[in-house]
Amino acid sequence: MSTSTSTRNEDDEGEASVIIDMHMHIEEVASLGWKMSAEDCVRAMDAADVDSAAVMTLTDLPGLNPQGLELIADACAAYPGRLHGFLRLNPAHLETSKQLLRQAVTELGFKGLKLHPVSTLQHPGGAATIELIRLAGELGVPTLFHCGDEPMSTPLSIAEAAAACPDATIILGHMGGYFHVEEAMDVAEQHPNLILETSAMPYPDKIRTAVERIGPERVVFGSDGPVSSPSLERQKVVIADLGTVAADLVLGGNAAVLLGLT
Amino acid sequence: MIIDGLIFLGSSHFGYALDPGPALAGLDAVGSAVALAAPVHPHRGDFAKANATVAAAAAEAAGRLIPLCRVDPWDGTDAVSELRRAVGAGARGLFLHPAEEHFRINDTRVRPLVEAAAELGVPVVAAAGYHLVAEPLQLGAAAGWTPDNPFVLTNGGQFNISGLAQFDAELALGHPNVHVHTTGMYREDFLERVVATFGPERLVFATAAPLFTMAYERQRVELAHFTDAERDLILGGNTARIFALEEAA
Repeated sequence: MSTSTSTRNEDDEGEASVIIDMHMHIEEVASLGWKMSAEDCVRAMDAADVDSAAVMTLTDLPGLNPQGLELIADACAAYPGRLHGFLRLNPAHLETSKQLLRQAVTELGFKGLKLHPVSTLQHPGGAATIELIRLAGELGVPTLFHCGDEPMSTPLSIAEAAAACPDATIILGHMGGYFHVEEAMDVAEQHPNLILETSAMPYPDKIRTAVERIGPERVVFGSDGPVSSPSLERQKVVIADLGTVAADLVLGGNAAVLLGLT
Repeated sequence: MIIDGLIFLGSSHFGYALDPGPALAGLDAVGSAVALAAPVHPHRGDFAKANATVAAAAAEAAGRLIPLCRVDPWDGTDAVSELRRAVGAGARGLFLHPAEEHFRINDTRVRPLVEAAAELGVPVVAAAGYHLVAEPLQLGAAAGWTPDNPFVLTNGGQFNISGLAQFDAELALGHPNVHVHTTGMYREDFLERVVATFGPERLVFATAAPLFTMAYERQRVELAHFTDAERDLILGGNTARIFALEEAA
């Protein structure tokens, strides 16, 4: 099991040498009654033998969450090497968002941009969103989208952004949710800059299908934790029965590259 | 005893299939002793034939498959008649799928079926979470027609990968006869909150195989933070009580 401040690096019993969760949340949202702390994340990661995780807020900066950058930066500073910051932004506030993203990546070591079109009311193919994704690409960090079943978050919607930003890496968080998983694989086949992330989506066999269709280098493990269990989400990859090489890539190898950890 | 609260048997019009042999093998593989079995949506909509096929499979399964009767409310009084026939032949519940049969669960034309189930003393199981036809509060409204008869919602009463449907699902659970399946519910905190807020009697393990994966759905309950007593109820005790399986045996 991991300790709280160092990464797990043993390669025990054929397990992946590094386990990275690409999707966790930190924030307290009083209106929803949701409380997710850095400590909650690390506790869940330890229980699942996860070495490190990408963490982001539940609401968007600027707007609902004016302290979002500091919240994530402080969490990452408290757990160096365990938590990697993603900045969740609202492209509607484009100039402010661009300034914040530059600051976060170049000064604070953030590793990615998070976008949730449902909460920002910004279509993935909209001009502001595309400009922000392109900036993330120029800064060398990926963009993680919420990609589920709601309007503006479906794979076909996000494919508009992928087509407009071929030099930026875009991760489809939840890889299409409950009912859009096949479409997520379809658009990933069409756009090589798309990566599929496994969290919350409930079908282990779809992970195996995704690996077969787009290759093990373009599928990454995530949990949507800490309230979605990293231990359970990791079991989904185990049940997918990918084989050692592909499983190592999905569970951590690919994320290490995306996060610039290698 | 571990009881899977719902599996589907047959070859569906919508492209998925599970035969009794593989179903029993799947139950064995994950340690489930018994499953409630509903027919899939049959080709050409012959629900009476589908119900008879599942009943026959159950009769040959030595008590391991418990049949649920599935009907299409658009068949009107014929659907009610088929429910009465199937329950008379041993079906232990009414299964309704608003998305696959294209009806709104709280449409008044569904009410005679729900009321007939209550009169017959068998619970209702409803496929939940489908936008427009099986939203949590629509399901709660239908459950309110027969407040003394159990009304079981699949997959936590919701399908939403932003977590935003759980609030309406909890409102549906405000109806004391509503219970929810664990299937596919990615928010572990929701499952745990159902137990903490509404009691362990309201949460029911199910896999909805072959739509979901038995091994993974079993892990969903094993890894959540329940007491042993709570887990015993969730994994089988609740289904045995709700569907009166001991009495049936």
